[in-house]
Amino acid sequence: MIGRIRTQTSEASQFLVDWMEHRTGIVTMLEHFLYEPVPKRGAWLYTLGSAVLFTITLQFLTGILLLFYYVPTTDHAWNSVSYIMNDAYFGQLIRGIHYWSANFLMAFIGLHMGQVFFSGGYKAPRELNWVVGVILLLLVIGLAFTGYLLRWDQDGFWASVVGMKIGSYSPFVGGYVVHFLLGGDAVGPATLSRFFAIHVWLLPAAIAPLIGAHLYLLRRHGVFGSEFEYTDRLAKLHERQRMEEYARYETVEEDEGEPYVGRRDRADREGYEEE
Amino acid sequence: MAELQKDPITRSDFLGFGVMGAIVGAILTIPPVAFVLSPIIKTDVLGESDVGTGWVEVGPVSKVPAEEPTHFVVSFPIQQVYGTKAVENPNVQDPNEKFTLRNAIWLSWKAPIKEQGRQGSNGDIIGKPERPKILDQKSSGFTESERKEIMSKLNVLSNSCAHLGCPVRWNEEKQLYLCPCHGGLYDINGGWVGGPPPRGMYRYTDAEVREDGKLYVKHKFNIEPGLNKQHPYVV
Ligand code: HEM
Ligand code: FES
Repeated sequence: MIGRIRTQTSEASQFLVDWMEHRTGIVTMLEHFLYEPVPKRGAWLYTLGSAVLFTITLQFLTGILLLFYYVPTTDHAWNSVSYIMNDAYFGQLIRGIHYWSANFLMAFIGLHMGQVFFSGGYKAPRELNWVVGVILLLLVIGLAFTGYLLRWDQDGFWASVVGMKIGSYSPFVGGYVVHFLLGGDAVGPATLSRFFAIHVWLLPAAIAPLIGAHLYLLRRHGVFGSEFEYTDRLAKLHERQRMEEYARYETVEEDEGEPYVGRRDRADREGYEEE
Repeated sequence: MAELQKDPITRSDFLGFGVMGAIVGAILTIPPVAFVLSPIIKTDVLGESDVGTGWVEVGPVSKVPAEEPTHFVVSFPIQQVYGTKAVENPNVQDPNEKFTLRNAIWLSWKAPIKEQGRQGSNGDIIGKPERPKILDQKSSGFTESERKEIMSKLNVLSNSCAHLGCPVRWNEEKQLYLCPCHGGLYDINGGWVGGPPPRGMYRYTDAEVREDGKLYVKHKFNIEPGLNKQHPYVV
């Protein structure tokens, strides 16, 4: 009985999968996206990028949920956050996730960049992915900065004032930066409106396609494994050496053999030059 | 590329495309850019301010004690988004409801500077604050010369820290203004004593006592740069 149900369901699901694959190619696509060989050593470090992706996704999901109750006006912003915290079901959870995930996101991005930097993963042909990554970092910093004002409490308010005043010290454009962020020359309703617009529309809209580009470039070149490429290279090298050695046994007479080490050096060099 | 080369662009094509491109490009970009940047155009190019430029009442100067500063909260009317005249007037529900910018003002009596300090190394050495004698006799109806004397002895300071704008408050224990954000310290005259601020506290430059004994100010500050030579910005 159980056995029959099992075979039937697996057949049915197989049919469904095949049907979808036939029409959309989605299964191969998913396989392509989900399965990626990574180097064995330090494999866990390669999850940092996924951690960033995961936390950003959480930000998008919880952010959209917060918008159901959040009111971006000076007279109601704080009250609406208070409502989220005290009255809405699971409000504390949703807002808490948005808050903590924002914090962890920054940490993950730092670690992820460190991993790429120290493994040399930004080198050719992956330079552009580093560039896209840096733009993403700046956009996320912008999101973290603009999000903090939205609470419209003492913490968020003064942190934003301090942040804007730091901006006022930028060379040549300081005044413009502040007036742009303030939406005038005083903290007021315009300030909150623009921070809201930037936090909820401008930056998420800019970030989404760039995440796409980042992932596309990643899949195009594969994850950079210093080990991975290195072992690959080593294997090729050894293969070449073996072939050469065979050739030597066949052509060269034993007694006038050159020192083996020299040959190995040359093969090494050639191996690298080819790369 | 090859396709394009077969059909070369002539000079008039090029100019036509260039001119049309510029016109269409301008039509498409100017409105949204000007829309988003209108605060910059208004404040930096046209020199307008969101904050009302008129006199605003602070409070009776006789309330300022002899030894300690005291603060008043003032509300400057502002014109921003739903605070603008165009929006406010047609739908007056409560004529008293104004959109305002609330600022705290610290008032104290000047303490004579015995020895000028040096910004960045040590603060001024100061004496005891001097409260004008006239205030012991009356709290309003001052004559012209009495008002002059009061104003020459009064410190009218903005509570916005000269470092990055946090609100400073008077610390009774230390007898100094202390900034909660990065620990900037100022003496009772608003002079720099310690911490990151590059200069002393901002003073209101337009302040006057009137016959009713109350202080009035305009939203204007002395904003000479401090040690870092940057033009400060009072938020
Ligand atoms: C990388 C992405 C994002 C980061 C780093 C980020 C960061 C933040 C931070 C730090 C806050 C203040 C939270 C608090 O202190 O309680 C905040 C608030 C908020 N965010 Fe985001 N956010 C992101 C994406 C989004 C998105 C995509 C949306 C909506 C589409 C959104 C909507 C909101 C709303 C409505 C608030 C105000 C509610 C509150 O203060 O709890 N956020 N965000
Ligand atoms: S803002 Fe006052 S010390 Fe930094």
